[in-house]
Amino acid sequence: MKGRRAWHWLQYRVLQNGKRIFSVLMLLFLMTVSFVFLYPFLYMLVTSIKSYADLNDVSINWIPRTPTLRNYAQAWEILEYPRHFMISLGLTAACIAAKIFVSSFIAYGFARYRFVGRGPLFAMVILTMIVPTQTILLPQYIQFSHMGWVKTALPILIPQLFGLGLRGGIFIFLFRQFFLGIPKSLEEAARLDGCGPVGTYLRISLPAAQSAIIITIVLAMVWCWNDYYEAQIYLKDMSSWPLPKMLQQVYYYYEAYRNPSGISASNYNLASQIRTMDAATLEKKIVSEGTLMAATFLVILPVLIAYAFLQRRFIQGIERSGLVD
Amino acid sequence: MNETRPLTHRRSRKAWLRENLSGYIFVAPYVIGLIVFFTFPLVFSLRISFGDYQLARGGYTITPTGLSNYYKVLFEEVDFTQAFVNAIVDTLIDTPLIVVFSLILSVMLNRRMPAKGLFRTIFFLPFLLGSGYVMKQLLGMNVNESAMSMARGIIFPIQVQEYIGPAATKVAMGFLSRITLILWRCGVPIVLFLSGLQSIPVSLYEAGMVDGATEWEKFWKITVPMISPVMLLVMVYTVIDSFTDASNPMVDMFYTRAFEKLEYSLSAAMSWMYFGFILLLVLLIFLVMRRFIYSEHDTRA
Repeated sequence: MKGRRAWHWLQYRVLQNGKRIFSVLMLLFLMTVSFVFLYPFLYMLVTSIKSYADLNDVSINWIPRTPTLRNYAQAWEILEYPRHFMISLGLTAACIAAKIFVSSFIAYGFARYRFVGRGPLFAMVILTMIVPTQTILLPQYIQFSHMGWVKTALPILIPQLFGLGLRGGIFIFLFRQFFLGIPKSLEEAARLDGCGPVGTYLRISLPAAQSAIIITIVLAMVWCWNDYYEAQIYLKDMSSWPLPKMLQQVYYYYEAYRNPSGISASNYNLASQIRTMDAATLEKKIVSEGTLMAATFLVILPVLIAYAFLQRRFIQGIERSGLVD
Repeated sequence: MNETRPLTHRRSRKAWLRENLSGYIFVAPYVIGLIVFFTFPLVFSLRISFGDYQLARGGYTITPTGLSNYYKVLFEEVDFTQAFVNAIVDTLIDTPLIVVFSLILSVMLNRRMPAKGLFRTIFFLPFLLGSGYVMKQLLGMNVNESAMSMARGIIFPIQVQEYIGPAATKVAMGFLSRITLILWRCGVPIVLFLSGLQSIPVSLYEAGMVDGATEWEKFWKITVPMISPVMLLVMVYTVIDSFTDASNPMVDMFYTRAFEKLEYSLSAAMSWMYFGFILLLVLLIFLVMRRFIYSEHDTRA
């Protein structure tokens, strides 16, 4: 009897140890993978504080010998940061607001009412997700130029008021899933108290959709902030460009400095200036890889800060939303 | 609901009307937007693709040319065919890998372990960079390759590299930098899987434990079937995302063709073929996956 008990005990210990070893291995694995995920940020940060000399020194990999903030000052200047930050902020805020209110409004109709043609119409929602923006880009451009909207932000903003534009379908899908998952009883109570359909949506359903709203804020923020494709087509004046589009400008300068002889006609002036610079001026004025990375970091920084604040509720929201039930 | 309740003809009709009317109030903005900002441009671009679009004084002309644009794109535009094949091959390789990696990572993140929240945050970070010019920048600097050059010393010591030769090393490094790219695209899939894993009832795992199932068996017999609908979602998301992302070279090509070289009709034909292929692929995924998906909805309804 006693031997058998000891045998069980031994088995248990081995099993427990096995589990512990497995946990440690898993943790190590996750840490390695984390490094891969963190790498672009580390690379960006380290490169952005490297001086010109450090960048050219192959022996310096991770720790810059003469760290400098010069790249940031230069990037700030080229990006015209305050002005273009405000433009990006305005666009992104409008986009987020539209996604929250319009997408949830439309999705509520899909989730709660059985109207004629609901199925085909929802299939259209899926279709808008699949069609690449580029397929309808040109006709849209013609359309908007007829309306006189080119060179304004209207072509980017107005479709969003109708639940389209910039992956609008995904948000309708998300809210619909969420509304399908919450019980109807509260809404029915509100209806008995004399609330109309729109009133019920506004007072009961939308406030109940908090976790879906948080998810929408994070996704819409990232997608709107990073979008430069539509801006590059509709916003022609540099003074109205959002930050990611300005980043492209920094990249052109960087290219010009890297290869001043093989440059396209648009940067011809800059290129010829670069070719006549002496070494000291060049070192002072150069748009280096460090500048580019500093600019990249400056462009992405607001999103990182906002995500840091939203992160906890975002993760919780995903776990509780029944997003993919 | 309404059909099952014993109502008089007039009342049920009224309820039906009210149901429809309320529904249309909500989707009305979408219907308008769909017609003006989606269907109209879509049909227009289809027309352009079957003709020769030229800017004329005060407007434009479209001379119908039948299938000639499509013929040209298929047989005369070498860079299109090349890029198209590349995009297809990339997607076919990347999508399954993304599904597998993100499933593994999210199953790990779903266990009880230290610093779980930290890992979850880290794995979502590349998404913040992911969809725009910023990531394009970083890739332009070959960040994905240098991320792996750190690992090169560990995975491929110099002796091994010398032994297998430069060509094989290059292939291996290409593979590793591809893995890096794939991992960076796992952010949203991991989030979706985590959400799905949370909604699997704990009672199933408890029942499995009572029956003496090992972790491995529980993963294959409980987790995988229960998560299969999410797998479909992740697959479709990944395919669409990789095809429509602005950093895709194809997408650049449409833009250059239309707005820089002013070959509108060719660009339209290209993008329609591209879209047709995506649609086909998504439908195929739905059809194939439907046979493997475990669905509760049959019993629920």
